[in-house]
Amino acid sequence: MQPALRHQLAHLDRTLLALLNERARLLAQVDLDDPGRRAMVDDLLRRHDGPFDAGALAPLFEVIDQGCEDRDAVRAAGGAR
Amino acid sequence: MILHFEKGTANDQVQSVRDRLEGEGIRTLLSTETARPIVGVVDKVPEALQAELRSDRRIEAIHACRGDRRMVERPYREAPMTVKVGKVEIGPGKCVVMAGPCSVEGREIMMEAARLAKDAGAHVLRGGAYKPRTSPYTFQGFGVEGLAQLKEAGEHFDMPVVTEIMDASHLPAFVDHDIDMLQIGARNMQNFTMLKAIAASGIPVLLKRALSGTVDEWLYSAEYLSAFGSPQVVLCERGIRTYEKATRNTLDLTVLPLLREWTHLPIIVDPAHAVGVARYIRPLAAASVAAGADGLIVEAHPRPEEARSDKDQALLPNELAAIVADARVQAAVAGRQFHA
Repeated sequence: MQPALRHQLAHLDRTLLALLNERARLLAQVDLDDPGRRAMVDDLLRRHDGPFDAGALAPLFEVIDQGCEDRDAVRAAGGAR
Repeated sequence: MILHFEKGTANDQVQSVRDRLEGEGIRTLLSTETARPIVGVVDKVPEALQAELRSDRRIEAIHACRGDRRMVERPYREAPMTVKVGKVEIGPGKCVVMAGPCSVEGREIMMEAARLAKDAGAHVLRGGAYKPRTSPYTFQGFGVEGLAQLKEAGEHFDMPVVTEIMDASHLPAFVDHDIDMLQIGARNMQNFTMLKAIAASGIPVLLKRALSGTVDEWLYSAEYLSAFGSPQVVLCERGIRTYEKATRNTLDLTVLPLLREWTHLPIIVDPAHAVGVARYIRPLAAASVAAGADGLIVEAHPRPEEARSDKDQALLPNELAAIVADARVQAAVAGRQFHA
């Protein structure tokens, strides 16, 4: 892989991780069972037009939510004060 | 110059160096930095004494200063400073949003505006009780009554408050109302008599850049505040006056990376006063956070068309929410955490 592309991928990965952490901090402040929140994700998936594999997106969001389930841990890590 | 002593250097050893300098009539300042002793040397040091300092093993580094500033210069602290306003921390690694109406317009509308700001995710409530208006015939603010209404709304929604002070004689009212942060407006940036008087209160200060203020002049004003008792200063870029008339002012984001090198003070951006039109604020706000701002200050009103001042740049509730959401994303991408 070209060094520049490798660098760009690494930067995107760091950014994705930073955004996932920020999402976890925000989620620690809201009701996880809020149906409105789930509807927003469903709407996002419906409108998705690639190139990321659409079939992989729903399970991906579930995994992301699972990573936020330990709300006490998120809060302890600075998620909500 | 600014002297960085080795970490762990005993206080009496630092004092002996200060005594040596003071004995030659050279004034010194001791930084409140706790990571290591740091001493600002105010006056010019003769070459022979400079050589003595360079050979002192307790002194790890000697930093040159720009002009006659010491306390706001970057080396005066080990790391960039965090300014605490109530429970809100403004500084490295964080991103905060200050929002509220341009003017405090009455108790009920202030409460409504505070709810709007809180619901959108803002951290600090703003609102002008004393208004510096270009025309003497426009709304001048409710004064002390406005301070009370702003503070009441801030307490109700658990938000610290920031508001502009235009005259040092008003300071007792600001202290009586427990105002969390004093704003020095662009027009008063170089009102040195006022800066000195206000600094004596020790209350954190939001220092706006003057319409035609250079970075040097802006930092000298911050030095005044620091030297006279208020080192808790947050700089605010709000647009400068240029030849361009298509927008109200020109937002100078070039200062953000530059100030990171020049000073340890936090910097926030007021995109609304720069551009003057509500629909142009969102991209500038996002750009500010992406460029490294420690936060934003914007005006929001439940019904902008009814605002008694700056109605053209007052954000609607949904516009403020979008700006806060953008700020959260841009802050994360820039390696900062949006203040909880």
